[in-house]
Amino acid sequence: MKLPTLKDVTTEAKLLLIGIPVLLWTLIPVYHLFLFSISPKESAFAGKLWPDHPTLHNFEVVFGQKHYYLSHFWLQLWNSLLIAVTVGLLTLFVATCAAFAISRLKVKGGRTIMNLALFTYFIPAAFLAVPMYKTMGNYGLLNNQWALILAMVTIAAPYSIWVLKQASDKLPYELDEAARMDGATPLQLFRLVYLPLMMPSLVAIGTYALLLAWNEYLYAFLLLSNDRQITLSVALGNFLAADDSPWELLMTVGLIYALPPAAIYYAFKRYMVGGLTAGAVKS
Amino acid sequence: MASVSFHDIEKNFGTTKVIHGISFDIKDGEFMVLVGPSGCGKSTLLRMLAGLEEISGGTIAIDGKVVNDIESKDRDIAMVFQSYALYPHMTVGDNMAFSLKLRKADAKVTAERVANAAKILNLDPYLARFPRELSGGQRQRVAMGRAIVRDPKVFLFDEPLSNLDAKLRVAMRAEIKALHQRLKTTTVYVTHDQVEAMTMADRIVVMHDGRIEQIGEPLELYDRPDNLFVAQFIGSPAMNIVSGTVRRANGGAWVEAAGGVRWPLGHTAGADGQAVAYGVRPEHLSLGGSSAVPAEIIVVEPTGAETELLVQAGEAQIVLVTHGRPVVNPGDKIGLAVDPAMVHVFDQKTGARIAA
Repeated sequence: MKLPTLKDVTTEAKLLLIGIPVLLWTLIPVYHLFLFSISPKESAFAGKLWPDHPTLHNFEVVFGQKHYYLSHFWLQLWNSLLIAVTVGLLTLFVATCAAFAISRLKVKGGRTIMNLALFTYFIPAAFLAVPMYKTMGNYGLLNNQWALILAMVTIAAPYSIWVLKQASDKLPYELDEAARMDGATPLQLFRLVYLPLMMPSLVAIGTYALLLAWNEYLYAFLLLSNDRQITLSVALGNFLAADDSPWELLMTVGLIYALPPAAIYYAFKRYMVGGLTAGAVKS
Repeated sequence: MASVSFHDIEKNFGTTKVIHGISFDIKDGEFMVLVGPSGCGKSTLLRMLAGLEEISGGTIAIDGKVVNDIESKDRDIAMVFQSYALYPHMTVGDNMAFSLKLRKADAKVTAERVANAAKILNLDPYLARFPRELSGGQRQRVAMGRAIVRDPKVFLFDEPLSNLDAKLRVAMRAEIKALHQRLKTTTVYVTHDQVEAMTMADRIVVMHDGRIEQIGEPLELYDRPDNLFVAQFIGSPAMNIVSGTVRRANGGAWVEAAGGVRWPLGHTAGADGQAVAYGVRPEHLSLGGSSAVPAEIIVVEPTGAETELLVQAGEAQIVLVTHGRPVVNPGDKIGLAVDPAMVHVFDQKTGARIAA
């Protein structure tokens, strides 16, 4: 083993000097969240690094729906999940088909579609909130979860198409030609060669769209209003409607709400790393 | 097994014409090599036969049936790509079975054919592995196996050996040739390497700038090149070419090159005063002789079996190859003996061979 040189050490030190503050910056709010959720109501604002009497009482209240704001907790959690998963799947379907058609089948006008997709990013999603509300109203979809699902797919699709198209372009074109000569129809090519090779990107994009919908507040707040239809993020916002918001419960729900994304990311982490295409062609 | 015929084939990419009306036939069971420098259109021609490129003009027929409008999957041909193009997410066995599965072939037949192909190519131990776990040569063999299991009418090879190192290339060359001798399937093989073409082909098509320069058996091309391009392209080290003028006097004939060097002419080719390119292969030159052309040695390159000498004769640099180990040194003045019967003469302007 070689001893690290002075240069190695200074590089490492510089990285740590940046890394440690960034880590703290990220972790302190999360720790704060956690601290609130295990503190009794009276000492929630005590400002201590660890509560005198840590308790799981808050979780009991939340899971048992034992508070006015929490009367539909499980239903709203389910709403969030249902909408997020549907948005993830729909976005994947739309974006994968578009990327395959543009990148592999080389359909005419593909370039224009890519440019349009990029163009939509000049317009912030918030600008589109009112037009979107009006459109959904025209279709009679207000207060229907499909309104939120369609809106979120619209917002997530351009970026997804763009990313998947770029990823598709990296697959060697000889694979398509080989499959065509082996007798594959475009659909078989899509199913048997394209999809398996795109799996890492598909998981990454599916996760992106799912988390985007899971975290969405503005559109969910606008398009849904019924307590039985709203997502948990909107329900969390409603906590603040009262003068004395139950902060410890808000934080507890917040912590619970943050867990699924963390779990999803952890579960799909290995897909986010490429390497599946190794050995396809000589590079 | 099938014959293939190209009739007046043209190809345009936009407004650029890359193939200018090519016609030739490949016999049933023949190993045909298309060879030429990069950009000559040989790969494009192969891809048109494969159905991967549109045909701009003319017809391609397999077994007498025009395939211009038939999709590549229905042409019953198999192709081995330069980059192997193996499906990375499938095992070696699945890669080879893929085409049969798409054709919904019986599972037993599929397994049998894959096993058979694996045996021919010595891939038995690797059937369950993924392409990424194989060496370059093994991947190349899987690509060939994928073609074999289909038992197609025609095999197409698109520069299959150019990604391999020199030693493996020679081994795979022999393997492909042995495979052809065993299966006797009509084969079209594209390469830019004239040594590959010479060693493997039954017949060679030499292409240049989208046109055919010459078609023939390897030794035919070597011994009687139709034109200057073929003469310089086929053979390694390449044929020596000297520009000069034909002179005839007193029953003798020679080509007079710059600097007054006289190159002997054994036959009656060329009229007195005609500007020609005089060609002689390195192995048809030897040291000494009374009628020798005076020259000076520049470099001596012994390779063991033979010795390559680079010499200066007048203004021309000439390579000669001898089987012995001559005792010479750079700077030595020597005489170059030319075998006049083995000399090639080409018209300086058109490059066409001037027949004896």
